[in-house]
Amino acid sequence: MSRSAVRDALRGLLLFLVLASTFFLLIGRDPVSMFGAILTAAAGSGYAVGESLVRATPILLCALATLVPARLGLISVGAEGQLYAGAIAGTGVMIAWAGPPPLLLPAVVLGGMAGGALWALLPALLRNAAGVNETISTLMLNFVAALAVTWLVYGAWKNPQSQGWPATVEFPDIARLPTLGDSRVHAGLLIALAAAVLLAWLLGRTRWGLGLDVLCSNPRLDSVTSLSLARQVLLTMAVGGTLAGLAGIAEASVVQGRLQSDLAQGAGLSGFLVAWLAGNRVGRTVWIALGVGALLASGDGLQMSERVPSSVTLVVQGLLFVAALGAAAHRDRGTRHV
Amino acid sequence: MHLLLSGIGKRFGAVQAVVDADLEIRPGEVLSLLGENGAGKSTLMKLLYGVHRPDAGSITIDGRPMSIDSPRTAVALGIGMVFQQSTLIPALSVRENLVLALGEGRWWIGRRGQALRALDERLQALAPGVDPEAAVAELSLSQLQLVELVKLRLRAARCVVLDEPSAALAPAEAQRLWSLIRALAADGVAVVLITHKLADVRACADRVAVMRAGRVVAQVGAADADDDRIVGWMVGEAPPAVRAPSGSPASRPPRLWIKDVSVGVARGIDLQVRAGEILGLAGISGGGQAELAEAIAGARPIDAGEVILDGELLRAPRRAPSPSSRLGVIPAEPLRNAVAPALSLGVNLALRRFGELPFRVDRAALERQAAQLLERFAVRPADPAAPAGSLSGGNLQKLVAARELSQRPAAVVACYPTMGLDVTATAQVYETLFGLAGDGTAVLWISEDLDDLLHYAHRIAVMFEGRVVRVLDAAQTTAFELGAWMTGLAGPVGRAAAGSSDEVFA
Repeated sequence: MSRSAVRDALRGLLLFLVLASTFFLLIGRDPVSMFGAILTAAAGSGYAVGESLVRATPILLCALATLVPARLGLISVGAEGQLYAGAIAGTGVMIAWAGPPPLLLPAVVLGGMAGGALWALLPALLRNAAGVNETISTLMLNFVAALAVTWLVYGAWKNPQSQGWPATVEFPDIARLPTLGDSRVHAGLLIALAAAVLLAWLLGRTRWGLGLDVLCSNPRLDSVTSLSLARQVLLTMAVGGTLAGLAGIAEASVVQGRLQSDLAQGAGLSGFLVAWLAGNRVGRTVWIALGVGALLASGDGLQMSERVPSSVTLVVQGLLFVAALGAAAHRDRGTRHV
Repeated sequence: MHLLLSGIGKRFGAVQAVVDADLEIRPGEVLSLLGENGAGKSTLMKLLYGVHRPDAGSITIDGRPMSIDSPRTAVALGIGMVFQQSTLIPALSVRENLVLALGEGRWWIGRRGQALRALDERLQALAPGVDPEAAVAELSLSQLQLVELVKLRLRAARCVVLDEPSAALAPAEAQRLWSLIRALAADGVAVVLITHKLADVRACADRVAVMRAGRVVAQVGAADADDDRIVGWMVGEAPPAVRAPSGSPASRPPRLWIKDVSVGVARGIDLQVRAGEILGLAGISGGGQAELAEAIAGARPIDAGEVILDGELLRAPRRAPSPSSRLGVIPAEPLRNAVAPALSLGVNLALRRFGELPFRVDRAALERQAAQLLERFAVRPADPAAPAGSLSGGNLQKLVAARELSQRPAAVVACYPTMGLDVTATAQVYETLFGLAGDGTAVLWISEDLDDLLHYAHRIAVMFEGRVVRVLDAAQTTAFELGAWMTGLAGPVGRAAAGSSDEVFA
């Protein structure tokens, strides 16, 4: 890391500490003990670490789902919708499955990934065919996908045994990704990390990644390089959707055990912010996603130990991003050219 | 306004852009500031305009030392600058842009109609033919410059700096610019004209200052500076002479055949470029040359006709334009059309053979391979890892020329390949371009520099309002005749001959 990057990070951290301390004082808490409590709740025990990793997994996948199209210059905010679409498709496979039981798990996971990819292809096709801005269309499709889940779990897919609770039937054990020991950390995390390593290589060391950088820097170069911008729009959005869809089916099958509303817990938005904060670099994305996951996961522990609502961590997350934004803005102003 | 710059120095990182520069700018005189790309002309003037702040030296205005810390201060002092890139707001109309230039008025709009009429009259007087209602985005380059000048006049600027205003103008447009510059000086304004072109000096300069490698190496009256001396100061030595292409290729077979092509305003263009031939394509801007070049390059679909390269169909309507490694293309506006500004020089040089790269790409290796090519084409700075967006305009042209010409293509389409280049760089690009023709490449060369066209091209096709009105033999025509065809003055005859280029072969 260059010296200016270190300075930026320190400046952002300082700003974050000031903002968060102010917030804690406003709600009548001692900032030092609150930061201590957050650290304990996020990483103070094996259980806490496990919960942090569980929370970080969909955020990391959604961040990668934002990052891949962003490398082409697309601003997709659709990871959340793709996550829901993946959860719907994977759950649908589980409900409708009539094949041999050992194939159920791969079918569910692949179904989830395909669902996310197809959902991401919609805005890509709209962009290619009619020039529809992908930021707006992915944002809108988030609502469609989230409401589709609500519609399904209140209607056609509602579990009759759930006594009115809007959710589908539970995933059978053979349809769940394996977990680590008796924690809730599941294979989705490994897949996400493997995907991050693969993406880092593909984006940084291959002709494909170079082509994305070229088109991102100047889309008119398609006639020089024989790259097809339209094809890369489809591909990057589909790759992103696949990853977000995986996050969705992992949340539904392992973490929640069934499809229900509010499955995403804001992972799509957090993922978008993480990718932005990481400057769309894969390595930084992994670390920031883990940190943000830990911060959010600490909310439950905080609720018990400090008797504050868990949404305090959402405020702290917001302040973290504001601080990073402020540090970046400060740097940009310092180097502005006329 | 009398300005005195003394001992000015400015460093950007490792580059000392301006070194101990002294310059005098006198009221009522046109000072022509010359120098090669990267000599520090624009930087020195940006220091005067407050865009950058000098590390050393002082600026004295009318005898009083001044510190100019921002363009706002410069404007308040009465200094105005016309940049190469227009600073007008494209979405607004000409009139609205001019109203903005007037600065803050009262918060209510009093006597609006009267003020606007006065504005329109001023515009009409200084820039006849520019519609005050027109959106700035729709103006031609020369009209943009006129409006920029009108804006400076409205602000009553006492010192006006023009940064290479003539670089992209057709001869008639340049004439108009020169007379406006003379009019400015006649009103007592101190004018600085940054330029590469010796023609600008001859046409309107009172004094000449030459910069080389950040220093002001000469400052003399225009009468004391003949072309050879100026060029000598600019390059420090005599520039390499470019040999005019030899031999008539009239008997050779055609390689690039543009067959009844229609695209944009260009209609029914039929041209053949023979092996080893340099076919110049002249015309005033908007005549359809640019569209034709883009269509051949594959950057724009063609409406009708075919483009054939060595007997193979290259372009046709509704056919996906695939890049060909056998066609070299130097497009207009390279920063917009030919390079990825965020990526390194090494990567940019590899773009033409992008499809042939292995799946595993080592970007550092691409940069290592590029070093030699950058050296050969004298791209400065020759750092293959530097982003292309950091290069100056002239060096970008050299970068694109290096990529497109070093592969020995069967045909080359070059659109204003020396625009913004200095004497040495122009010679280098011409040397390469015409050297290729000597080896049998067909060269289609779009240019507005009539002297160069007459000197280097074998034949010159002239476009006017979308049609080829005439194909002239360069050896048997004059700049006057060429200009007449370009501007449609050779009217009825030209119209009658439209589209028929056969008579030249007859």
